[in-house]
Amino acid sequence: MKSFMLPDLGEGLAESEIVEWHINVGDTVKLDQIVVTVETAKAIVEVPAPYSGKIIRRHGEAGDVINIGAVLLEIEESEPSSEAAPQAAKKEDAATVVGNVSQQSHHVDVDDFWIGGEQNATVENTITAMPSARLLAQRLGVDLASITGSGANGLITDADIYSQCDKQLPGTEVLKGARRTMVNTMAESHLNVANVTITEEALLDNWPEGEDISIRLIQAIIYASKQEPALNAWFDADTMTRCVHTAVNIGIAVDSSHGLYVPVLRHADEYSAKGVREWLDKTIKGIRQRKIGREQLQHATITLTNFGAIAGIYATPVVSPPQVAIVGAGRIIEKVVMKDGQPVAVKAMPLSMTFDHRACTGGEAARFIKALVEDLVRKS
Amino acid sequence: MAEITLLEAVNLALHHEMKRDPNVVVLGEDVGDNGGVFRATVGLKQKFGLKRVIDSPLAEALIGGVSVGMASQGLRPVAEFQFQGFVFPAMEHLICHAARMRNRTRGRLTCPAVFRAPFGGGIHAPEHHSESIEALFAHIPGFRVVIPSSPQRAYGLLLASIRSNDPVMFFEPKRIYRTVKSEVVDNGNALPLDTCFTLRKGRDLTLVTWGACVVESLQAASTLSSQGIEVEVIDLASIKPIDMATILSSLEKTGRLLVVHEASKTCGVGAEILARTAEHAMCLLKAPPKRVTGMDTVMPYYRNEDYFLIEEQDIVLAARELVEGWK
Repeated sequence: MKSFMLPDLGEGLAESEIVEWHINVGDTVKLDQIVVTVETAKAIVEVPAPYSGKIIRRHGEAGDVINIGAVLLEIEESEPSSEAAPQAAKKEDAATVVGNVSQQSHHVDVDDFWIGGEQNATVENTITAMPSARLLAQRLGVDLASITGSGANGLITDADIYSQCDKQLPGTEVLKGARRTMVNTMAESHLNVANVTITEEALLDNWPEGEDISIRLIQAIIYASKQEPALNAWFDADTMTRCVHTAVNIGIAVDSSHGLYVPVLRHADEYSAKGVREWLDKTIKGIRQRKIGREQLQHATITLTNFGAIAGIYATPVVSPPQVAIVGAGRIIEKVVMKDGQPVAVKAMPLSMTFDHRACTGGEAARFIKALVEDLVRKS
Repeated sequence: MAEITLLEAVNLALHHEMKRDPNVVVLGEDVGDNGGVFRATVGLKQKFGLKRVIDSPLAEALIGGVSVGMASQGLRPVAEFQFQGFVFPAMEHLICHAARMRNRTRGRLTCPAVFRAPFGGGIHAPEHHSESIEALFAHIPGFRVVIPSSPQRAYGLLLASIRSNDPVMFFEPKRIYRTVKSEVVDNGNALPLDTCFTLRKGRDLTLVTWGACVVESLQAASTLSSQGIEVEVIDLASIKPIDMATILSSLEKTGRLLVVHEASKTCGVGAEILARTAEHAMCLLKAPPKRVTGMDTVMPYYRNEDYFLIEEQDIVLAARELVEGWK
């Protein structure tokens, strides 16, 4: 039998109060099993059994104050296991004033090391990128590895991500032909022309069934150009010159898969209605087959765009210098108007005309579009 | 050859250096007859006598002051503070004299002293026996701050620290004093003081740690490896100066940084490493750098100690966030 004295619980405090016993007389305890909780002036401390065995006697009850070295327990020690003995012996050797330094070995090899880092490590394909560029690349689905950065030492910036993103779009092509021409003419017009669009509508209740819209529009432009020639003109701002034409050469915008073509019906006023239709059919066929000569695209004095044949009611067409006007016809709509105090359903053609306000006055434009309407509302 | 513990490696290095250099003296509370509170100095007094192994009074200010005097006059004292938290009474001597001696005397005098102290929690001791305050010293110009985390590095770095002409704060992770073992050759070879040590190589993540956290970090690295994440584990070892070159070259490979330290987060050494990474390698990073650290609280009493201490799982989770959250 062994007696277990209250150990020094640290800090050199002489007394402890028993808070609670965790074992009873007759119990069998194991090494390190908590047998009693005591309270020192500084802390609550749980006291473990110093050896395995059977409890023969306890000294003191909860609430009692006991001194260091006072007998706490009497334990009948069970046969010390072969492992327990050296461990206990070692434990004493690990002495520290406070605490308990663990002796349980970690199964990690802490002493397999390289001094510094990897020797002659060759890091390939290191990507340096601004954090914002990394985020951007993630959002836009751009692979950083495919980019050569434009910053210092190949640093990838936001701009690189954007430009790579543009490059990566599938089916990107270099513009040719009519599309390429459109880029320049439209940009030039947008930059130089004082585009003003005026809109009006022509009621078509006089029209017979199956009227040829294109022919009527061409005829109306011829008529309006006679009434108000200022819109059928060329203008050159560089030389401050204006040429008001007597002949009416109508450029007619034709949409094709190759781009926008504007073949010119020269001396339109000299054509019969039938002749206009024949010219149109032949020209459109030529465009579809890409058989249209440059000479057929020259010298328009005014342009017609019949976008309404596809869709669209009003628009802001763009004037092609040196011309000063372009007439746009929208999709024919059905609408209710008041006639003699009664609501009546009628068909109407929306008209949008853009003119170069540098070359034409608003009055000229208004008169022109008024004449257009006058001609369009007529019975054929 | 038998394997020895980190603690025994410290003892071995002291034996070796006291034998090699008669100017080396050891002083501190109970370092003589008792062999030190953790037995780091056991056997020294018997071998080298009471003139070279000095049991000091219980007065840390005295230990600091006497060490500065000895060091500036040609000895190489190795002073022991029983716990890192006991160093505060000696701060004036350490900061105002030890760290500044070389500068103040324009290089005429140096202060080749080593101040040893066990640090960190995990041994169920009261709070001022468990703290990790390496950052306080790293902030002071003039000190080297060294933390070994294995028997071999404890041996090699302590030799280097004693031989260094700078004052060295040598903090020993007491939680793993006796839990890590390896074979140490007592050949007197010092390890370099200005470098990290790479403990494991990996391509996905650079984990920088030191002290006892090295154990959980290596365990986490092994767990992560089985999940397909390869972690490069770097033991910082030299808290000051910091070997950023090694860390940055690892980041070139991995692009992800995780710093693990037991000390509180705010103004910890991890903050310095993150700041330098931001300064020098921001554009290498594939993910915002991350820290797993102790809490910004006083080290709790030991019942709550486990809440404070970093566990393997904490590191595994942080590493997975860094890698899986930022593909």
